[in-house]
Amino acid sequence: MKRIFIFAIAALIFTSCDNNDDSTEIQPVENAKTTITFDARVGNADFALNKDFTIGTRTYNFSKLRYWVSNVTLIDSKGAEYLIPDSYYLMEEVGDLNLSGTISDKLTYPARKRESIDVEDIPAGEYKSIKFSIGVDSKHNDNLSLQSGELSIANGMSNIAWMWHTSYIFSSVAGIVKEGTTSADFLAETGLNANYKTVSIDFAAPVNFSTAKGVVLNLDVTKIVDGIDLIKTPKVNAAQAEVMSALATNYGSKAMTFGSIAN
Amino acid sequence: MKINFSYSILLSLILTACSKKESVDPEPQIYQFAVPANFPRPVFDIENAMTREGIELGRMLFYDVRLSGNNKVSCASCHDQKLAFSDGKALSNAGVSGTILHRHAPALVNLAWANNGFFWDGGATNLESQAFGPLTASDEMHQDLFELVDELNAVPEYVKQFDLAFKDQISSQNIVKALAQFQRTLVSANSRYDKFKRNEAGGNLSSMELRGLELVRQKCQSCHTGELFTDNAYHNNGIDADFSNDQSEGLFQGRFRISYNPADMGSFKTPTLRNAALTAPYMHDGRFTKLEDVIDHYSGEIKVSPTLDKTIPTNGFQFNPDEKKAIMAFLNTLTDEEFVTNRELSRP
Repeated sequence: MKRIFIFAIAALIFTSCDNNDDSTEIQPVENAKTTITFDARVGNADFALNKDFTIGTRTYNFSKLRYWVSNVTLIDSKGAEYLIPDSYYLMEEVGDLNLSGTISDKLTYPARKRESIDVEDIPAGEYKSIKFSIGVDSKHNDNLSLQSGELSIANGMSNIAWMWHTSYIFSSVAGIVKEGTTSADFLAETGLNANYKTVSIDFAAPVNFSTAKGVVLNLDVTKIVDGIDLIKTPKVNAAQAEVMSALATNYGSKAMTFGSIAN
Repeated sequence: MKINFSYSILLSLILTACSKKESVDPEPQIYQFAVPANFPRPVFDIENAMTREGIELGRMLFYDVRLSGNNKVSCASCHDQKLAFSDGKALSNAGVSGTILHRHAPALVNLAWANNGFFWDGGATNLESQAFGPLTASDEMHQDLFELVDELNAVPEYVKQFDLAFKDQISSQNIVKALAQFQRTLVSANSRYDKFKRNEAGGNLSSMELRGLELVRQKCQSCHTGELFTDNAYHNNGIDADFSNDQSEGLFQGRFRISYNPADMGSFKTPTLRNAALTAPYMHDGRFTKLEDVIDHYSGEIKVSPTLDKTIPTNGFQFNPDEKKAIMAFLNTLTDEEFVTNRELSRP
């Protein structure tokens, strides 16, 4: 007997109707908008490229700081979570980047400083904390054809050729580190699903986004490199699994802290 | 013959918000993937549902030299249908640069079931992401993805077909999605062995072929598993003993270069045995010219190293000449003439 199973695929994507008059649905009274800033700092100083910073016994001069922030979620005073849709943002401070030979023969990514994301349509309420991840979740990290937010293979924050995985680079910091007469050009990157880190940060006081202009979170670069010997291991990537894991843990556990509420 | 159809139909309804203007474009038609009766059911990625329009687009792209930087190389340049979508070369120099590649072009067979990574080391998780590798690699298709979108936009047929398939513009993401849809239709399930398994006309195996089948099931099954004749996993099959060369980003270290797990040192993806008679030469670098060489390797030429697969005896399987002949005879029954001549998979 010849048995043939035939089947097809389910992909049910219902987006809600504009004129949805379902009265049981809770509609926010007023949708608020705000700005979430990830303020890059080196200890108490503002982060800057091409400027010497002393961290411990070493001098760092940074040429690049880039990382994906994804799945940003606001948590209200009752614990309800609002996930900002399509929230994949590339935070960065870079000079002109030569990306020739990646997806294009001649490609320059222009210098850019980006520390803030604008968020609209936040349901009204008092929010007590924020949750987000550094990196790209496995669903999107494993499939470069999925389009969401700012995800792109055109900005140099992905691996599409023969390097480690066809996947995103979660974070990338580069520069020169010196101690006495020793120096190293470093490029410290994180990636791979195991290094996707979620950060939760409580606000100092509940925030109402219909009145607050925004919240500021601090990213302290001294915490990113804490315990990472970039003279000994100047190139951190998948081949240095332990160092890369420690670096990712730094991003996830201590580099990000609450800064302030802008009213 | 009585045919029993068992349908398991799931819908793909993509309802966009109730806009005032109803779309007049037809929805892409869901492709009904026929799972051969002796095969397991594949797990499909619902992010890229197969449609007739998407598959047709993927087929156009697969055979189109526009996908290379010099407009001379297509996917089919190294994945030739008559060789079960392989190229017959150990290491190809058919890429744009003319440089000899480091890895052997794999056959494209039953990719709808390949759910554990692509490339010989599993560096891509799905066919969609995988396609970016050969498309952009300078020694392969060396295609500037921005230029490709422009080139395809200049072809009205493509503009129309992308709209039909995705209701969207031409983009590199939609290009790889279409290629993946087409590649998932490369189903080989009509070899003489399959007809034997399904008890269909023409499905006779000789006693020698049956003996070969028995040997393959006894000795080769742990990697060349089940009806797919692959476990889609990664193994060190004893073709080398020394993996200390970490040149070319760990190219010679197999899956270790992806996983950095010491247990994966020297492990490469199990290729299917299906159509093996058409897919010479063999191994990730094409080092074995003939199928007989491969059988000789497993019989008594195993190179021992700490990560050698545990199911392979260090002194090989010690096949006698009759057993080798029987295995050869059986492997030939896995050749699928219908697959390599199927017009639906050919250049459009």
